[in-house]
Amino acid sequence: MADETANPAGTATETEPREAPVDEEPGTALERAEATPPAVAEPELPMLPGEVRPHPTPQRYVMIAAILVVATAAEVGLYYLEGEVPDGLIIVFLLMFAVIKFALVASWYMHLRTDKPIFRRFFVLGIVAAITLYLIVLTTLHVFSPN
Amino acid sequence: MDQVAVPSAHDVVEPAHDAHAAHDTATGVSNTKLAMWLFLSSDCLFFGAFISAYLFYRGRPQPGPHPIDVYNIPFTSVTSFILLMSSLTMVLALAAIMRGDYRRLRVWLLATALFGATFIGGQVFEFTEFFRQGLTLDKNLFGSTFFVLTGLHGAHVTAGIIWLVSLWGLAVQGRLTSRDSERVEIAGLYWHFVDVVWIVIFTVVYLIPK
Repeated sequence: MADETANPAGTATETEPREAPVDEEPGTALERAEATPPAVAEPELPMLPGEVRPHPTPQRYVMIAAILVVATAAEVGLYYLEGEVPDGLIIVFLLMFAVIKFALVASWYMHLRTDKPIFRRFFVLGIVAAITLYLIVLTTLHVFSPN
Repeated sequence: MDQVAVPSAHDVVEPAHDAHAAHDTATGVSNTKLAMWLFLSSDCLFFGAFISAYLFYRGRPQPGPHPIDVYNIPFTSVTSFILLMSSLTMVLALAAIMRGDYRRLRVWLLATALFGATFIGGQVFEFTEFFRQGLTLDKNLFGSTFFVLTGLHGAHVTAGIIWLVSLWGLAVQGRLTSRDSERVEIAGLYWHFVDVVWIVIFTVVYLIPK
């Protein structure tokens, strides 16, 4: 703090850029900073504990919602193609859309992409355990056999 | 003396997150949040059991009514859309409290609870219609597995609505501030989870051809 006032004009130091324009503008540095429009249109949200990156902006959330709506509409559209398109193809696309929607909600809305990896690992562990366990059970019970 | 942070006249205060700067835990992260993720992880196995039971019995010879006789896909699509939108409003509520915007926090929390209530209303209507068409819990295997699976999901949504209304009540009283952002985030994790479970149920139970 004392160094800033003691720094002689014209001396090239790291504090110089901050001091040069100060006298021309009224108010404290904090007031000027608040009055200055941000360089980025949408400021990032502050971070919560356990996060490694800031949350997405509300605009991004709305964009994700729009993608979810389009994917749901596509799913419902596929349902009405039953009989005109092979069932196997419909099932593949339906599952693909479900996986996309699931991943979008989990990564963006549940913030797995911005949180510490420990949360993602726990959740993925549960999903993988469930899928593995029940695939084994259903296969053993011949649920996926042709007849 | 003033222990409760009351929002200003404009209902906007500056975000305050210094209290969340670090967690003195063995893992370095919030125990509450970690516990919620563990619960959600175990809930995957819970719902997986009932989805598997539905898949096991679907398509087996059994007396009607069958899914194709009772399903109303346009109606269920609308309720699914409403639940998806509730996830958007939930995440907007979290963004609002993190910014210290308490007016929007209250709006988005209430909107999320109302969307959830609308979804549950739709489910009650659907169950009533199925009942009128002769499908009951003990009518056939489809009825048993369908009502148990979707009913348990509905119970999860109902619990979420109660949670959201509680948070909204706190927000109205000015007892939910930026320092409580994590409470909203954890409620949001639960709410988004019931949404992703419905994404799977809607696809596997309603849309996949029989």
